[in-house]
Amino acid sequence: MSGLAVTGGARAALAALRLERFALIGAVIGLTIVAATLSPAFLTLGNLRDIFTQAAPLGMVVLAQALIMLVRGIDLSVASVMASAAVLATAFTSTDNADIPLIFGAVLLGGAVIGGINGWLVTRRNVSPLLATLAMMILLQGVRFAYTQGAPSGLLPSGFRWLGTGQIYGIPVNLSVLLILALGLWVMLRYTMLGRAIYIIGGNPRAAELVGLSAQRVTMLCYCLGSMLAGIAGLFLVGFVGTVDNWVGRGYELDSIVAAVIGGVSLAGGSGSIVGALLGVLILVLLSNLVVILGLPVEFQLILKGVIIILATGLYARRMRA
Amino acid sequence: MIGRISPQALVVPLLLLIALTVGAVVNERFLTLGNLRNFTEQLAALGFVSLGQAFVILGGGIDLSIGAIASLAAVLLAGLHGGNEALFIPSLLLVLAGGAAVGAMNGWLTVWLRVHPLIVTLGMASVLSGITLLYAPQPRGSVPFWFEGFAFDSLAGVPLSGLLLGALFLITALVLTRTPFGRRVYAVGGNAEAARLSGLSVKPTIITTYALSGFFAALAGAYYVSRTGVGDPHAGDALTLASLTPVIVGGILLGGGRGGLGGVFLGVLLISLLNNLLNYMNLSTFVQWWCKGW
Repeated sequence: MSGLAVTGGARAALAALRLERFALIGAVIGLTIVAATLSPAFLTLGNLRDIFTQAAPLGMVVLAQALIMLVRGIDLSVASVMASAAVLATAFTSTDNADIPLIFGAVLLGGAVIGGINGWLVTRRNVSPLLATLAMMILLQGVRFAYTQGAPSGLLPSGFRWLGTGQIYGIPVNLSVLLILALGLWVMLRYTMLGRAIYIIGGNPRAAELVGLSAQRVTMLCYCLGSMLAGIAGLFLVGFVGTVDNWVGRGYELDSIVAAVIGGVSLAGGSGSIVGALLGVLILVLLSNLVVILGLPVEFQLILKGVIIILATGLYARRMRA
Repeated sequence: MIGRISPQALVVPLLLLIALTVGAVVNERFLTLGNLRNFTEQLAALGFVSLGQAFVILGGGIDLSIGAIASLAAVLLAGLHGGNEALFIPSLLLVLAGGAAVGAMNGWLTVWLRVHPLIVTLGMASVLSGITLLYAPQPRGSVPFWFEGFAFDSLAGVPLSGLLLGALFLITALVLTRTPFGRRVYAVGGNAEAARLSGLSVKPTIITTYALSGFFAALAGAYYVSRTGVGDPHAGDALTLASLTPVIVGGILLGGGRGGLGGVFLGVLLISLLNNLLNYMNLSTFVQWWCKGW
């Protein structure tokens, strides 16, 4: 990268990115201070741990959403994939913890297939990502309901409970997994050819083809990885919630897009980072908690989310033009 | 739009024919007048919202707040008058105007913030759902008895809602093909930049398409209220996705600028017929969803 001439424009973009990062961290700190002032119980270790445990599955979905948004996509099927992963897990009707790796394997495989179909529709059939993943969402819903007849068996190894709510040395298990996944993605995006290719393709697919990158293959890979991540998130969410139904993860498609957008991942593709996306999750979770702390009805969370996503995208869109 | 008939244009009518035949074969009650009327009554809500969605998509946008607008319209219509029948008509007008206003706001936000309409309308849907659930955590309210006629009465054997839907389709088709506004919608959806350079008022056109969509969504909400007699906070939830299918099946390109309402009408017929058919074949709702996914 250093071999390329860094133009003034690129430098300005970098500076803007840094400013954005500061703004995000500032928002996290500010919201924490407000929450702590309003409720003394907020800044206790136990409460923070609860918040992180609750937010970790969303974090995993946001990784998926961010990755797909980077290649100019969007995935509305993430929540449906999460629920399908949960139902798939109960299909083993096993209560033996030794089967957990097998279940994860099956979910990863299923995720890869679903993501592959999404990616195939988007890259080869030129279906808009919105439409392709919307269809996938409805299709999975139908398959799920046809299979479970509305009521999944709910048989799961007890180890899932530990994955979803347990701790290692005081750190939530699911948070550790999220951080490992995020680190992996961060390294991939920042230090590998593939990561570079993802940014270039997202920024300008035609230019990417001209320099010999296969936009189709990379985009497809992103959809595959995204659905696999969503599947994992589904399993961890089931572990957190403790019960399986057909709507595990409902609403996570909007939440994941909101968090990624707040975190500065551009819907136009090619710009955004893993750290930003995770900061977006933090801000979203803090805001949701504030609604509770303020004693407002939970419906305000919906209203708040809607207002935030419109304002945040609006703000970023204006800055892009400036 | 008229002119050469492409092979693709024949797919939907063909599917319609197949669905009808299968229906007639599978169940002798399928082709009876009773079921036909039943079918027309079920058709209305989907038809209304598909009309709105068609305008928005033709203009190059997409509206994912339709279901939320319909739900909010339903609870407000059933709840606002508070049992006083004299207040019902004003609240009906208010709700319809409100739907148009919310739609216009969607449009204004997309052109002003230049954010993808997907995000704007998704965000708007979230806000509206929040308001709906704040106002009516459970189904609430009531309607004057006469208003149920909107869903159940018929004129010369044809359900009122079906007549209204047909009339609206005719009027909007005329508006789209015969008026400057209609041509502007196509021009803006086809290439907004070119439309702007040739001096068309792009922004008001886009805002109007969203306002129409909001209006039709509110109308669908009102229709639900007249059918069920109560304002259900989840009445319109399924409509957002449902409104997309006929428009796409009917061949309006997502991205705008091409396609006609005739296709949408056939799309609405086909989807409703499929639902109806699958009911008759004793298939569960689950399979219905599955089929729609294709």
